[in-house]
Order: sequence, then C-alpha cells, then structure tokens
Amino acid sequence: MTWPERHLRLAQAILYLGILAAWEILPRAGLVPRLFVPPLSEALGALVADHREYLGSLPTTFGEIFVSYVIVCGGGILAGQLVGSSATAQRMLLPVLRSAYAVPLVVLYPVMMVWFGLGSQSKIAFASIYAFIPTMLTAVAGVGALSPALAETARAFGATRAQQILYVALPASLPSIVAALRLGGALVIVGVIVAQMLGAAEGLGFLITRHRTLLNSPGVYAGIVLVLLITGLHEILLRGLERKVAAYRQGA
Amino acid sequence: MSRALVAIRGVSQRFGAGPSGVAALDSISLEIPDAQFVAVVGPSGCGKSTLLSLVAGLRLPSSGTVLCDGEPITAPMPRKVGMIFQEANLLPWLSAVDNVAFPLKLRRVAKAERLAAARRMLELTGLAGFEDRLPHQLSGGMKQRVAIARGLVQNPAVLLMDEPFASLDEQTRMVLGDELLRIWSETRKTVLFVTHSLNEAVYLADRVVVLSARPGRVVDDVLVDLPRPRNFAMAASERFGALKDRIWQHIKSAERA
Repeated sequence: MTWPERHLRLAQAILYLGILAAWEILPRAGLVPRLFVPPLSEALGALVADHREYLGSLPTTFGEIFVSYVIVCGGGILAGQLVGSSATAQRMLLPVLRSAYAVPLVVLYPVMMVWFGLGSQSKIAFASIYAFIPTMLTAVAGVGALSPALAETARAFGATRAQQILYVALPASLPSIVAALRLGGALVIVGVIVAQMLGAAEGLGFLITRHRTLLNSPGVYAGIVLVLLITGLHEILLRGLERKVAAYRQGA
Repeated sequence: MSRALVAIRGVSQRFGAGPSGVAALDSISLEIPDAQFVAVVGPSGCGKSTLLSLVAGLRLPSSGTVLCDGEPITAPMPRKVGMIFQEANLLPWLSAVDNVAFPLKLRRVAKAERLAAARRMLELTGLAGFEDRLPHQLSGGMKQRVAIARGLVQNPAVLLMDEPFASLDEQTRMVLGDELLRIWSETRKTVLFVTHSLNEAVYLADRVVVLSARPGRVVDDVLVDLPRPRNFAMAASERFGALKDRIWQHIKSAERA
C-alpha cells in the first residue's frame, strides 16, 4: 500500500505551500504589519537586489560554522564515546553535564566577546560551547545502546578487540553518531547566527541586525530566508544520512 | 564409543572471591565422544549456561580443564566450536547471508568464498531465498535458523547451543527441533545442547546430562535409547515417558531444596 504515504506527502506539500502563501498574503491584506513581516516576495526581492552583500557574508558565516562544527561534532562525539564506555565516568559526569546544559549559555556571549574580540573567534567559541553538551549527551546515549550479547557473540566467533570495535561497536553506535551530528550541526548554525546578531562586524547574523536597526524589514527577512535555506539544507543532508543508517537501528 | 572429542575434567567455577563468592559449578567431569548429541538439563541457575561458555572459551574455569580434540580451551576456538545463543544475536545491519559469513570475515576469508559458504549453510537450514533479508525482516524462527547457519559455517566439530529455542513459540520450537535433527544427521556434529525443556532434551539427544541445583554437579547421565530418526509419535511412548520421569525426579528434588 503506497497510497497513505502519498497522501501524507501531498498533505505536507500543501502545508508548506500554505505557509508560504500566508507569508505572502497576510501582510498584503494588512492582517500583519509589514514592518514586522513583509511579504515573502519583498524579502526575496531584497535578497536578489542586494545579493552581492548577502553572498559576501556567507564565507565568514560558513567558515565559522565549519570550524565550530568540527569542534562540536569531533570533540563532542569523541568525548561522548569515551564517557559512554565507562560506567564510572557516566555516573560522575552525566549529572554535572545535565545541569550545565540547563544554563542559558547565551548570557555568556558578552563575556566571550570581550575575551575573544569582535571577530570569528568569539562566534566559534560561543557556538562550540552552546552545542557541545547536547551533542555529547546524544553520543553517550548511543554507546549505552550496544548490546553486550552482540559483543559476546562476536567474541565467541573469534573477534579480536579491534574487530569487535570495528565490526560491532562502531556500526552499532552509527545511528547515534548521525543523530549527534544532526543535533550538533543545527545548534552550531543557530549559535553562530545568534552570536553574529549580538555583536559582530560581518556575517549573515550581522546583516540581519543591521537591516533591523535601519528598520529595513525586507532586508531582515532576506537574511532570515538565507538562514532557513542553510538549516534546511543541513537537515535534508543529515536526514538522508540517517535514512542510510536506519537499518542499524532495527533490533536484531 | 570413539574417543572423547570434548572432555571436561574436574571443572569448578566460582564467581567472585571470598565468602561472598558464588560457586556455580562443582567438579564437573564429562567425556563427550564425536558426533554425540548431548542435552544438559538442570534446575534454574544450576550453571548450565556457564558450562557451555567454558566450552566456548568465553571464560576460564576456576579449576579443572576443558579439552577439545585433546587441546585445552583457553580462548574461543571458532573453527572447532560453533555457538548458538538463546537469542539469535544477529548483527542488525547485516543481511542474513552476511551474518552467516561474519565468522569467516573475522578470519579474513575472501569475500566470494565466504559468501558461497554462507549461501550453502542458509540452504542447509532451509533459508534459500532469504539471503538478502535483514534480521528485522525475518521471523524469530528464521533468525534462529540464520544463527544455526552461522554456527555451522566454519564446519566446526562441536556445536554449542544455549537454550536456542527458548524464546520461540511451541510450534516453531517443534519444527526447528526436527530441522536440527535433520541437519545433525547430515553433518554429524557433536552437539552440546542446554535446555529447560525435558521433552526437548529426551526428544533430541542421545544422552541427557542432569545437573543439580547450584553449585551444579552431575547427578545423572541418562542414555536415551530411543531409535532414530525420532518422530512425534515417540514422544507419546512409554519409554519416552520413563526417561523423562527419571530426569524429572532429580530436577523436582533439586527445585524443592
């Protein structure tokens, strides 16, 4: 039966179109003040008109996202695997990490700006700290999911320690690694954009703030459209990757 | 009787040291000749599975020795001993044929060769046509057939089965029991089969070893003199009942203790 799935997709497409249509129609009908939400076409118009400026902001933004991504996902997943494979480390660190996670880290951004300056370093520092703990916690959860029975089975069939990690532990934690990448990446993008909005001299978040200060709403929304495109693209890529490793998630 | 293929000599197993330690097995000695089908039964917690894991080389006994083909077992010897667990324990991301080929992959056997061997084993266990299914696309009984194929793929002399049918429903268990006897008669492995079910033990085995409650000792060693091939009607025979009753007397007294 493929019909329910097709109905579902059709309904989703209608929903997306509806949101875009509302974005266009509601401000034009005067139901939403144009200063706060200009019609979609005006935002896209601003994006096209000022495309040089917007495209020019992307190298800085992507550079900051990339470095933070490497720090968060590399370090967070590695730390998660390490903590996850030790029961003592889990008992000691997890409560601390969970309470640290509850701290709204954005309050630290002014400190980081004073510390690391107005340039890329403060954005990278903030985005990395902001995304590190949730990414790590996601990775920890995946290590715990490895069944001891599978490890013993591999051992009974003669797997060496290295083969157990390569053929059993690593594939078993792949779904949680991809989940950690997806979450960590989304948070890094948010972290970088927010940091740029709060204090920067360049980048997409900086453009959004500058247009807002000038009350140029189409310019603000042109930047927002770009942010949506970046997060959407990241989401699509990672979801594709998740589908690829979906078989790993199924119970034996 | 031919020479003992598996010899368990004076094996004891303790878990934990000092007075808080638990004795699981107490001076077990068993000689198992080639191609014999041995069932091991006993009350819950008597160390049946521990005994099997010693023969599998998954742990070392506190004292005594376990020999396979005259060689002491100190680590898993997958080419001599194949293991089948209560759960199929298949790697969920590998297809049936890749799961069966997994022990060969660990030994770095060339891909074409190991897949050919795995296909032959799936055919033997009645799974031809299901080679490319992932474990979650197979029923419980089929998964256990894959696990049996995996246990057999290296052509080991000994097959260890740790309550392999315990998590299956009654009908699947009966079908798989007959399948196992057919595979056994075609391959003539030495089988060490741990089970909770007295019916299963008497129906399948040449010999039933009965262990006492913890610490497990051998309290009886029963030769099952029912003719082969076995069939369903034999389970209703007087001899079958008598054998089962003899074993049950041991278990009953142990469980009460």
